[in-house]
Amino acid sequence: MGTSQVLKRVVDALDVETFLLCRDEEEGRALIQSLLKDMGFEDVDVVFAQHVGHGARLRARAYVHRPGDHYGWLEEESS
Amino acid sequence: MTEQVSARRILLAPLDPVHDVGLKLIAKALDERGHHTVLLSPDVTAEEVINTALEHDVDTLLVSRTIGYGVDKALGRLVDLAEASGLRDRARLVVGGMAIKPEFVAELGFDAAFGPGTEVERAVAYVEERPYIPQADRAQKEKRDITAGYDYRFHHQAIADLLDQIVDMILDEAQGKTSPGVQRTRLRDEMLTVQHQQAQGGISASQAEETQRTLRLAYSQHCEELITAFYAGGRMPPRTRTLTGSEVANLIAQVNQIKGQWASPRLQHVAGQPLIFVQYGTGCPAMDVLHMKVAEGWGADGIIHFDPSWEARSEGLIEGYVAHHESGTLVTFENLKLMKDALEPATIYQVRAHRGLNTSEMALLAGHAGADMTKVNIIYGSLCGGTDPERLMVDGIEVLRIAARFGMSIDVPANEELSGVPAYKTFASMLIGAKLALRLGARPVLQPLLCYAPDVMIGGQMADNYVDFNAAKFWALQRIVQAPIWPGAPVGFFTHTEDRVQSAVTTALHTALTASLGAGMVIIASVDEAYAGGPIAATSRIDALRAVQEVFRFFGHATIQPTPQAELWADELVDNIEGQLRRVAQAESFTYCLYNDVLATRREGAHPGRFGQGTVTEA
Repeated sequence: MGTSQVLKRVVDALDVETFLLCRDEEEGRALIQSLLKDMGFEDVDVVFAQHVGHGARLRARAYVHRPGDHYGWLEEESS
Repeated sequence: MTEQVSARRILLAPLDPVHDVGLKLIAKALDERGHHTVLLSPDVTAEEVINTALEHDVDTLLVSRTIGYGVDKALGRLVDLAEASGLRDRARLVVGGMAIKPEFVAELGFDAAFGPGTEVERAVAYVEERPYIPQADRAQKEKRDITAGYDYRFHHQAIADLLDQIVDMILDEAQGKTSPGVQRTRLRDEMLTVQHQQAQGGISASQAEETQRTLRLAYSQHCEELITAFYAGGRMPPRTRTLTGSEVANLIAQVNQIKGQWASPRLQHVAGQPLIFVQYGTGCPAMDVLHMKVAEGWGADGIIHFDPSWEARSEGLIEGYVAHHESGTLVTFENLKLMKDALEPATIYQVRAHRGLNTSEMALLAGHAGADMTKVNIIYGSLCGGTDPERLMVDGIEVLRIAARFGMSIDVPANEELSGVPAYKTFASMLIGAKLALRLGARPVLQPLLCYAPDVMIGGQMADNYVDFNAAKFWALQRIVQAPIWPGAPVGFFTHTEDRVQSAVTTALHTALTASLGAGMVIIASVDEAYAGGPIAATSRIDALRAVQEVFRFFGHATIQPTPQAELWADELVDNIEGQLRRVAQAESFTYCLYNDVLATRREGAHPGRFGQGTVTEA
């Protein structure tokens, strides 16, 4: 199954959690959002960021389906 | 041993240096069912396992592995020896344990593999070559009457007497008054009755259509322009759209495929632990349905509908399967019915109607859609929710009558605390709402917040812990009345952060405290509670439910013990509640109290609402 077909089955969002080496929280936020955009996601945000010392604990989110969208999982082949 | 299952010979061998508890549990269960088991100690070699299996002529070999190091080599050697010795031809090889990934070991030649978290009963079923059926107590939930067992007897007579005086004052003042909201509610009731009659074949389609047209026209005359435009020309409010027929049909088909097909787990570890409710309102009924099914799948016992805030401030509701591109799902009969029908029969369904200009119609739609509960608090909705006090008094009374008519229990929230109103004033108001509900035949649920409220932040009652003052609030109410007292939504308000671990933990601990205080129900937030950047994700609901399940498992019948300070605060709260009610009872009217800082002051955060001002008329 291709990526686009898998993404159709994502109910709402894809979260990515990681620890990034970075100067401060701001850089961590920018880097993780940049990563998600490079992966092809457009609707991205940082849900949580906590920088301590040399890096940041991050939880970033890419919305695949927002409420009110036409959902991949409601198309004919998904039913 | 059941009659259908013959006794098997099973060797259970921990192919692991230390760990064997999983196999011991399975061996015990197999022994109890009459099978012949041989259980080896840990740290045996593959050769020893095979030799023992041959010696006892077993038909099933269960091996386990917890430590991941060298797992592929150890299991591969076991399979090689089983094949070389001929055991492979007459016995089934099964592996399980923490280190086992089923997709990996299948390639090695095992007949079955059970990963981490496998139930003992599942392994037993495999040995007996029968389908695994989850335990009945996990598979079958039954809907409870959540207010059963409460007689609403007041232990504090002075407070009961004051509440009766205040309720008399409210009903006298509201006597003979109506509002556009109440008038729309009555018209909507007629529309739904016609719809029902048509479905039952009582009237023809053309008769129904004609009557509906007349009723809709009358309805739209009580609406504001945004809603009138919908009825006049089908113009949708901003950021909304109607779901297509195929979207609705596909959603219903998906729900029908999964409904009743899974064993929804119980979150509660022991009897008496509270039911767990979650809130939904993503904006879209289709997304909501998916989230509701996820919540049910992870053990939620009840679901609460949230509508968009603008809906509370607009005169009139639209119709149809409507999605909204912002937080909060529109209240329409079709939306509510779609969501109610998607739920498992045991799931309790609540539609909030606690503030706003459509309060009574929302309660009516909830009743017609089959909801079990609704929610209203005239004082909160008018002092902190933006609705004109007189208007919400009239509409709120209508909600209580509707709740009584449909047998819906009614939450009386105490959310003024979130605006900064002290707990005792909030509770006095909540008790007024509850007493009014009882007078009108409804069964109220008191909903004190277990929260880190602004007044408490300033007052310092939670400087040491979150337990004592929250316990004091519960105990104070329990000393006043024998009623369901369950924390308002969500538990732990103002203690959540965007850190999902912290958020899950604070929800779980507040839930444990609630259980310790004897509450029958808790409304929990997702771990996205403090995240304001977008909609709540389905996985965030699961995180919170799993945390609650774990804390229920941790505590069982054990409880959290508040310090002696909680008793002192409980006494103080009861005294202050009585004093507050005395001030209200002595006032010239109920609405005077609302407009003139008697129930709570502007400085505390209570601002009489302006939406719907001047719309109350003589009936």
